[in-house]
Amino acid sequence: MALLEVKDLTVRFYTQEGVVTAVDDLSYRIEKGEKFGVVGESGAGKSVTALSVLRLIDSPGRIESGEILFKGQDLLEMSESEIRSIRGNEISMIFQDAQTALNPVYTVGGQIAEAIEHHLDYSSKEAKARTIQLLDRVGIPEAEERFSDYPHEFSGGMQQRAIIAMALSCDPDLIVADEPTTALDVTIEAQILDELRELADEFDTAIQLITHDLGVIAEVCDRVMVMYAGKPVEKAPVEELYYDPKHPYTVGLMSSIPRVNDKRDRLQTIPGVMPDLVELPSGCSFHPRCPFAEEKCTRTEPPLTDVDSGEEATLGTEHSAACLEYTEGLSQGLTYSVETTGPADGAAAQYVDGDRDE
Amino acid sequence: MRRIYESNALHRDDEEAHAPSEKERPTKLQALRSVPSSTLSDLLIPRRLRHLPVSVAVETPEDEYGVGEPVPFTVTLRNRLPLPISIPTVSPLLWEWTVDGNVEAAEVPIRDPPDEEGTLSFDRGERKEFRKRWDQLFRVSEREWEPADAGSHTIGVAVNATDAETRGLTDETTVRIVR
Repeated sequence: MALLEVKDLTVRFYTQEGVVTAVDDLSYRIEKGEKFGVVGESGAGKSVTALSVLRLIDSPGRIESGEILFKGQDLLEMSESEIRSIRGNEISMIFQDAQTALNPVYTVGGQIAEAIEHHLDYSSKEAKARTIQLLDRVGIPEAEERFSDYPHEFSGGMQQRAIIAMALSCDPDLIVADEPTTALDVTIEAQILDELRELADEFDTAIQLITHDLGVIAEVCDRVMVMYAGKPVEKAPVEELYYDPKHPYTVGLMSSIPRVNDKRDRLQTIPGVMPDLVELPSGCSFHPRCPFAEEKCTRTEPPLTDVDSGEEATLGTEHSAACLEYTEGLSQGLTYSVETTGPADGAAAQYVDGDRDE
Repeated sequence: MRRIYESNALHRDDEEAHAPSEKERPTKLQALRSVPSSTLSDLLIPRRLRHLPVSVAVETPEDEYGVGEPVPFTVTLRNRLPLPISIPTVSPLLWEWTVDGNVEAAEVPIRDPPDEEGTLSFDRGERKEFRKRWDQLFRVSEREWEPADAGSHTIGVAVNATDAETRGLTDETTVRIVR
């Protein structure tokens, strides 16, 4: 049995302008101890997906349909007290902005100890000892003295580490990390990612890592899901996604990463912006920005398809993509190519788009 | 757990000029209490009359469009009263647009809003304007779209309230698609 199975999840926000379908018919599976990446631009529905797993969607948002099975139990069917016993205990979350996630009027140590006391029934003395141990584990110097510091007395990187310590405090089975390093500089980012990976390996914790940085995904994850306009457009093991991407959007994301050894004059970008989720384009949502789009892309929405067999993807499909190329076939096909440079182990892939858009 | 007010971070002193005093303020605050006008309006104006000051309009910049050319349209909802007004709606979906009677130009149901009441709220004299676009396609199934035929098509807008049509909470306009 998989640790987490999300089936046909749809989340909508009812606003004045219309209905925002933030997550549309999304399915994925995370195995025990697996590191699963979710990547996409801002507004792709990554954070809403994460918040849905913990049932933290606020009004006017609603989880309209679907199932979220955690160890076989549907989280959407649980009572509020049942879900509270799972939040922070079996599934914990690392929020995007540590400064906002920490309560400014309580000490950092107190906030971490509170979760331990609540979920694990530790006495306050035991909880304090465990908190100090955790703070030390995530690399906070002089953890015993910093225990009674307030969040404003911590730097950004230390606050993020404190949040990671809080997420790890009850030995969860799943950590949902929503852009844990976005607010940090690259050196701290690298340290925190290393720590997260080490800690996850040590405690055999599964991670759902949400980011818009493909480099972070390559560093940490085993499998990746690429999201666009609330829908998954490609799911693959991380190596396959990098060396054999199947969806034009993934190719666009890859080719817009700057590289040191790049010979091109200008960085390639994906033209246009993510569509308004109130008014999605007809057919494939990516067609207005896709250099390979044909007329049928505007008329038919492609399902997530197994790229090898051409059959509709299931939760167990290894590599799937949502492009008509893999069902009906595009008349001119997808004409990009992937070039790898450097030695095989540290190879960097370059993505050369087809010239049909010129 | 140590709280911030126990931290002695703030120094109070009645004698010192630049420190906050320890004394309580001797007079009560004299500021005028604000009136929650939207709550008041909801209490005073009966539900059956609330639609009266609200007007609904839909318009397109042109009457004729070529085949395949997107049709932009503007939806304007306006409260003519200098009082806030809120209209109860049958679901959280507050209003919808249709083409030839098909909600959001879809011949199949595209969503199933929850079975609970919503509220379309207007501030005093508020005008809400929404810009939408119909790309001359009809959604014929969950994953398929078909182009609209040339000829006249009606774009309609309705507030999602009971008896919207008889209460004047709808409007429509006709566009021609020409070859």
